[in-house]
Amino acid sequence: MQRDIRKWLMKAHDKGNDNASTNAEKKPPPTEPKTETPVREGQEGSGRRKTSKYFAANKQKHKGDEEVEDLPAKRKAQNDGVQSVKAPPSKKVRKVEDDEEDDDFSVPKKKNGASPSKKLKSSSGRVIAQKPVDVNESDEDDVKNIESPLKSGGRGRGGRGVSGAPSGGRGRGSGRGGFMNFGERKDPPHKGEKEVPEGAPNCLAGLTFVISGTLDSLEREEAEDLIKRHGGRITGSVSKKTSYLLCDEDIEGRKSSKAKELGTPFLTEDGLFDKIRSSKNIKAPAREDSKVPVEKVTSLPKKSPQKADLKTHKDLAAEKYRPKVPNEMIGNQSLVTQLHNWLKNWNEQFHDAGNKGKGKKQNDSTAKKAVLLSGPPGIGKTTSATLVSKMLGFQAIEVNASDNRGKADAKIFKGISGSNANCIKELISNEALGFDMDRSKHLKTVLIMDEVDGMSAGDRGGVADLIASIKISKIPIICICNDRYSQKLKSLVNYCLLLSFRKPTKQQMSKRLIQVANAEGLQVNEIALEELAERVNGDMRMALNQLQYMSLSMSVINYDDVRQRLQGSAKDEDISPFTAVDKLFGFSGGKLRMDERIGLSMSDPDLVPLLIQLHKYFSYYVLKPKLNTKNYMTILKGKDDNGMKRMRLIARAAESIADGDIINVQIRRYRQWQLSQAGSLSSCIIPAALLHGSRETLEQGERNFNRFGGWLGKNSTVGKNLRLLEDLHVHLLASRESNLGRDTLRLDYLTVLLKQLTDPLRMLPKDEAVEKVVEFMNVYSINQEDMDTIVELSKFQGHGNPLDGIPSTVKAALTRAYKDENKSRMVRAADLVALPGKKKALKKRVAAILEPSDDGLREENGDALAESEEENSSDTEDTEGTGNGEKLQSELLSLNSKGIQVEVELKSGKEKSKAKKTPTGRGKGGSASTEKKPAGRGRGGSGSSEKPGAKRKR
Amino acid sequence: MLWVDKYRPKTLDQVIVHQEIAENLKKLVTEQDCPHLLFYGPSGSGKKTLIMALLRQIFGISAEKVKVENRTWKIDAGSRTIDLELTTLSSTNHVELSPSDAGFQDRYIVHAASAYLTVLVLNEVDKLSREAQHSLRRTMEKYSASCRLILCCNSSSKVTEAIRSRCLNVRINAPKEDQIVKVLEFIGKKEGLQLPPGFAARVADKSNRSLRRAILSFETCRVQQYPFSSNQAIPPMDWEEYVSEICSDMMREQSPKRLFQVRGKLYELLINCIPPEIILKKLLSELLKKLDEELKHEVCHWAAYYEHRMRMGQKAIFHLEAFVAKFMSIYKAFLIETFG
Repeated sequence: MQRDIRKWLMKAHDKGNDNASTNAEKKPPPTEPKTETPVREGQEGSGRRKTSKYFAANKQKHKGDEEVEDLPAKRKAQNDGVQSVKAPPSKKVRKVEDDEEDDDFSVPKKKNGASPSKKLKSSSGRVIAQKPVDVNESDEDDVKNIESPLKSGGRGRGGRGVSGAPSGGRGRGSGRGGFMNFGERKDPPHKGEKEVPEGAPNCLAGLTFVISGTLDSLEREEAEDLIKRHGGRITGSVSKKTSYLLCDEDIEGRKSSKAKELGTPFLTEDGLFDKIRSSKNIKAPAREDSKVPVEKVTSLPKKSPQKADLKTHKDLAAEKYRPKVPNEMIGNQSLVTQLHNWLKNWNEQFHDAGNKGKGKKQNDSTAKKAVLLSGPPGIGKTTSATLVSKMLGFQAIEVNASDNRGKADAKIFKGISGSNANCIKELISNEALGFDMDRSKHLKTVLIMDEVDGMSAGDRGGVADLIASIKISKIPIICICNDRYSQKLKSLVNYCLLLSFRKPTKQQMSKRLIQVANAEGLQVNEIALEELAERVNGDMRMALNQLQYMSLSMSVINYDDVRQRLQGSAKDEDISPFTAVDKLFGFSGGKLRMDERIGLSMSDPDLVPLLIQLHKYFSYYVLKPKLNTKNYMTILKGKDDNGMKRMRLIARAAESIADGDIINVQIRRYRQWQLSQAGSLSSCIIPAALLHGSRETLEQGERNFNRFGGWLGKNSTVGKNLRLLEDLHVHLLASRESNLGRDTLRLDYLTVLLKQLTDPLRMLPKDEAVEKVVEFMNVYSINQEDMDTIVELSKFQGHGNPLDGIPSTVKAALTRAYKDENKSRMVRAADLVALPGKKKALKKRVAAILEPSDDGLREENGDALAESEEENSSDTEDTEGTGNGEKLQSELLSLNSKGIQVEVELKSGKEKSKAKKTPTGRGKGGSASTEKKPAGRGRGGSGSSEKPGAKRKR
Repeated sequence: MLWVDKYRPKTLDQVIVHQEIAENLKKLVTEQDCPHLLFYGPSGSGKKTLIMALLRQIFGISAEKVKVENRTWKIDAGSRTIDLELTTLSSTNHVELSPSDAGFQDRYIVHAASAYLTVLVLNEVDKLSREAQHSLRRTMEKYSASCRLILCCNSSSKVTEAIRSRCLNVRINAPKEDQIVKVLEFIGKKEGLQLPPGFAARVADKSNRSLRRAILSFETCRVQQYPFSSNQAIPPMDWEEYVSEICSDMMREQSPKRLFQVRGKLYELLINCIPPEIILKKLLSELLKKLDEELKHEVCHWAAYYEHRMRMGQKAIFHLEAFVAKFMSIYKAFLIETFG
């Protein structure tokens, strides 16, 4: 874009020097024939004429000038180069068709027999080279047309028959295309089965269509496209001007009732196709007399002088065609008037008010000292501000984001030598004009603060300062912003008269665009410009830029050019992964370009593959129709050999998804981000290309919605269960009875553990069973949560719950027994010991083994007292850190022979201790910071046995 | 206590099954400096038991006093620090850990673990990523003066050549069935059980030559029914049962719908923490039981293919599913070809 604009600038510049008009450029340069092949030379004259045919009329007019020029001609050669590269092949064909219809000269030259190999030659050669192809095509069309009436009739009825039945809930799609929500509108029943005719480009010119309900084979957008391409117009609702209501089923909606009321004829899709086809048939004779575009061409010369002088002083189209007077503004006229009035009255209002005291606030619309214009970019806010001030004789001083707009220096008296902000302050407080003098003779100023919502870090205190300025200002201030509701502007809004600019309608825009196009000597039809206006979303500046850009490479712009050009830029909306998957798998998925598909799959590179993985089972397998052949071959699921093919494709798709996973590992683990395209290709696009079509219902009564893959949920469950298993694993390890791996635990032990834990409960009498199970749990230091884990991991869908058949009384007894047992002693995990003063269990998981109570009882003699004292002190000791470590250590050594030990590890320097308990009788720990302390006896073991350990740990 | 643990040999002298290896190990550690060791062999053959017995042989009883802890490592990986938590089993003399639990950050663990200047027992070395294995290699060279590594894995083919050549490889074979029977009888005698003739042999037969499995199912039988009858059913593992269900699902019908159901079941297995490689392996062996001869080779090929890819990838379900889909398409083609 950049380069091309520069080119435009240069071109214009040259023009300015030479005082010549644009169309002069279009003259073939002297060098051009040399680049052409000998074959071409034979028809040199015609070729020449063709190249310049778009500007045939103009050329004649300015012939004199052109002869003189050399430089522009060269530039033209460059342009040609650009053009031949830029224009996509598919477009060429259509373009040629257009040429053929528009241009009288071309008809006799058709059969000149230029070789197809010239396609890629210079642009002027192209026009001719395509002809033979074109002839073939129109022949084909003729053949087609012969059979089409038969086909379409039958099909149309069939279509209606099919679609009639489920018509109840559908067809409320009164909005224009672009809604891609699920279930909003059903897919056309015979989607893609019909072949879309091509007719004369203007065969529907002057007709207005309204589309209602679901069509037989076309998507709503496709239908709109088709009609627009042929010069028709689409409106949203039925009115008197509507020529046809396009619908395939009478759905009794608002549109159809209105149409009946107004007597608007109904048209089915097939009817539309017939209309288009027939235009092709009668086109040949009709071609000569129905020449709308040619008229346009002839009308051009009238305007060209004006255009020529425009060119001389302005460069950018957006600048060039900026409105010169407020009346030229598109849309928002009332706002402009309001602004005008405000500005006009400003002086009387405030200056006089300043003189006469503040009694004049009643006039509310003009009571604010500043005005805030808001609206999306490119709709003329700045322009209208400047224009209005200019018209009223104000001198506009514009301050925009490129200026420093920070808070002014407090010492404003320092003058304007400092920052820009000081200038503003100076400006607004300046009364140099003195009101004693005749004011009309003096220059009045207005301050335009552009892009106030862009005041950011660089403009510290900008908004506050602006408000302050408004308060003291002696000149009007116009603020301009895009987003009125911006947080930054909240305070400003109170001081300003708010004027919200709205986007101009596409009709308004296209009207203006036509003027511009005419002035530029572009041949553009209204539909194309409307499309352009729609695509740019009301941004006039962008529309002009686009128009200018397109004018560089072509001088006839039709609907398809606009479409193609703006496809990427305009539809740059956010799509959800669901929508993306729908699109990829949708019927038209096969028609998407590769970059579009990548774009879709990149909309969420993590989620889309997951959805695709799920989606693939639900897709009917549809053989991709070959778009180029005339016979669409669509094989639906039932027709392939017993689903054999489908299965094979699913296997391929599954493998491709797995490929994607492997690539994803490369991307994430080794940061090979350059592979991301390959990743999306294999994880999304290939599966989507292999399998697409509508969803297959696998379960009864499921929603018509993309099922979610469930990978995320499943994955997190796996994670959770692994964690639980790891807990169990640690507990088992802590019991020191076993030294097993986690996988071994799951694969081999779990079944047995479950049996050991549940079978006795089922078979033995209650008390005995409970005792047995608790004992087993204690041996392996399995706690109740672990038991739940074991049960949980042994559950399989479709199999019974392992706990079935165990009476709840037994379960309750087990819980009780386990808790009782725990009080007295035993191997258990410290991570579940509730620590005083700590709500959460220690993050560090620690396996603790406390002594069986009988040991404690045995060794209790006399120690108990000392012990408890020690325990008390240990609470304080812990906070004192390692200082007491040695003492503890010595005590510890003396008690080493005793069975019970709780090892407390105090991280040196850190108060927060991490507790570790060693198994019985263990030797001194390897790490120096480890202290061991006997603990955990206490009589009867009740409670106190865990407490010390717990306290120690804090 | 489970018999598996109760009758696990604690010292090299008590070993019943791999006596010869035990003898050699004993000589190795008593007579000369112990090299790095790599134990490999199928699960249930006694690698862990041997390792523990070996440690005990070296360090005496203190090797048995292990503590379990969740250790945190702070690893400085260039721009950021990574916190890694891993369960370690350590005594004063050795540290045991399974670095592969750390997932793709295993190499940091391997690196960090070399700070213990003791005997380092690493489990599941075959699950380590390539990087981690290289990192391990460096550890072995650099700290060989102060640190001994004992590696333990199922398949030595997944351990890089470089590591294998730096270790003394000790292959632990799966015990033969008569050896298993011998062990079972030994346990039976100790427990004072009446073993009907042939029962131990049946248990051994079902155990797939895994001693652990054999003892566990022996005990399960004991819980289920005692006194034993010679034709008593030996209960299969729950997950194995489930896998064979999946298998018969796949054989019965090949359709997208069925594939969808199978996926649900595969998820169920994964949720229950069954390692995906095991699922695939078991699935294949179940399929092979039922398949026609001519398909076996092809199906094996694809199973291997997808297992390899599963290791390269991350989301196991994709690969399992790809295998199932592949199998279905092959099998369906076969069925149509044979039966029309």
